[in-house]
Amino acid sequence: MDNTLLVSLSQQIAAYRSMDVIANNMANLSTPAFKRESVKFEEYIQQSQPAEGETGTQQISFVQDKGTLRDLTQGAISHTGAPFDIAINGKGYFTVKSPDGTTHYTRNGHFTLDASGRIATEGGDLLQGDGGELTITNDDGDIKIAQDGTVSGARGQLGKVKLVTFDDETSLQKDGASLYSTMQQAKPVETPMMLQGSLEGSNVQPVLEISHMLDVMRAYQTTANLTQSQEELKRNAIDKLGSAAN
Amino acid sequence: MRALSIASTGMLAQQTNVEVIANNLANMNTTGFKQQRAEFQDLLYQNVEQAGAQTSDSGTVLPMGIQLGSGVRTAAISRIMTQGDASNTGNPYDLMIQGSGYFHITMPDGTDAYTRAGNFALSPEGQIVTDKGYTVSPGVAVPSNATSISVNAQGQVSATVPGQAAPQTLGQLELVRFPNEGGLSAQGDNLFTETASSGSAQAGVPGSAGYGTIQQGYLETANVNPVEEVTALITAQRAYEMNSKVVTAADDMMQTTSRMGGA
Repeated sequence: MDNTLLVSLSQQIAAYRSMDVIANNMANLSTPAFKRESVKFEEYIQQSQPAEGETGTQQISFVQDKGTLRDLTQGAISHTGAPFDIAINGKGYFTVKSPDGTTHYTRNGHFTLDASGRIATEGGDLLQGDGGELTITNDDGDIKIAQDGTVSGARGQLGKVKLVTFDDETSLQKDGASLYSTMQQAKPVETPMMLQGSLEGSNVQPVLEISHMLDVMRAYQTTANLTQSQEELKRNAIDKLGSAAN
Repeated sequence: MRALSIASTGMLAQQTNVEVIANNLANMNTTGFKQQRAEFQDLLYQNVEQAGAQTSDSGTVLPMGIQLGSGVRTAAISRIMTQGDASNTGNPYDLMIQGSGYFHITMPDGTDAYTRAGNFALSPEGQIVTDKGYTVSPGVAVPSNATSISVNAQGQVSATVPGQAAPQTLGQLELVRFPNEGGLSAQGDNLFTETASSGSAQAGVPGSAGYGTIQQGYLETANVNPVEEVTALITAQRAYEMNSKVVTAADDMMQTTSRMGGA
């Protein structure tokens, strides 16, 4: 009898988890290059032995969350006009290195210069080119970043922004601040496509999220109602059976 | 229920966004104002299940993990340093920088400040000063009997004085540049000061490599594009609204929960 309660409970916990993921998607509507996530659920089947007088095994299926799936489709590219905003069109990640030497990957192409004129993220991680960090001096004038990542100024070529990709992009770990990390070997992208003065937007589609949210909410309420009627059933049984005994 | 707090980070971020847009629109007519933009980043993730964890002795691994996000934060408010339009004023003390660089201003307390707003005037002593009366470094004095003053593209200031055929050279204006001008700290009154992230000021003659030239009789308008700002405002408002819907939905679920035990 308790199984109904426990099965509903597993669904309700799952609904809470979905809601958290939807909330995170919605909160990151304006985060450059944010990739939306969805929760993947799986059936967990418990076999219970038949009671006396019954035949066959009974199956009870619970729901359990199996993973968060990242949707890797590209976000819309919007023009910003800032010289160090670089949008990746198609595959690839920028490689950035923090001062302590840890490597991260990101698709958020909003960069600025640091105090020594190196191209860096807002967090101070340095953008890596083919030959390490990229330094811009005042003599370079206006900086042009070509489609293949070649950085050039008034004094000629200064370096080339490196784009890398991985065998399994979905298993990159999110570290916050738009950064990813992985133990996988980074492979160079063969035909990089970069767009200077633009940023890739978030690929969250508000309409989709809102409808998912309503789905989750209704499913949650339905399960709550189920629990409620189960509760009433129990009480009725106790009342009826109890009064019959008198 | 984390959805509540996550959605509130979303609402806060959009509020910052609207504040930045409001400031841009308010400064649409401010000389030399540079458009600002709020930059967002996702917050830390909680690893519930690590992708790549072993699922059997034979070395099979989890193809995907469970990472729960915790919302969004404002990473920075950056300035977009594109050139504003030139507006012709005809005033000889209105100077515009065409290209990169800042005018160097000496504050009353002797510290340095930098500006792109070239709406200058003369002090009672004949010095070229800002509209607040602060000296434009390195300090150029204009004789009281000068009939006209001219500033050339290279920043050389000269005056025509009665009784002299050739114009008299009064001084040379300088421009400064920074390794990272995005790192300058705005002080209000169109003034900026140097910070550790901007790097140190490098002075140079206008028109030399990397430095802009001076245009006399013009002012640089703000580089705010009202159409762009209003579109951004609508997007921000909708995003705020949608995050508030998540708060309502999360609240609804919690209400359902609290009703479950009742009846």
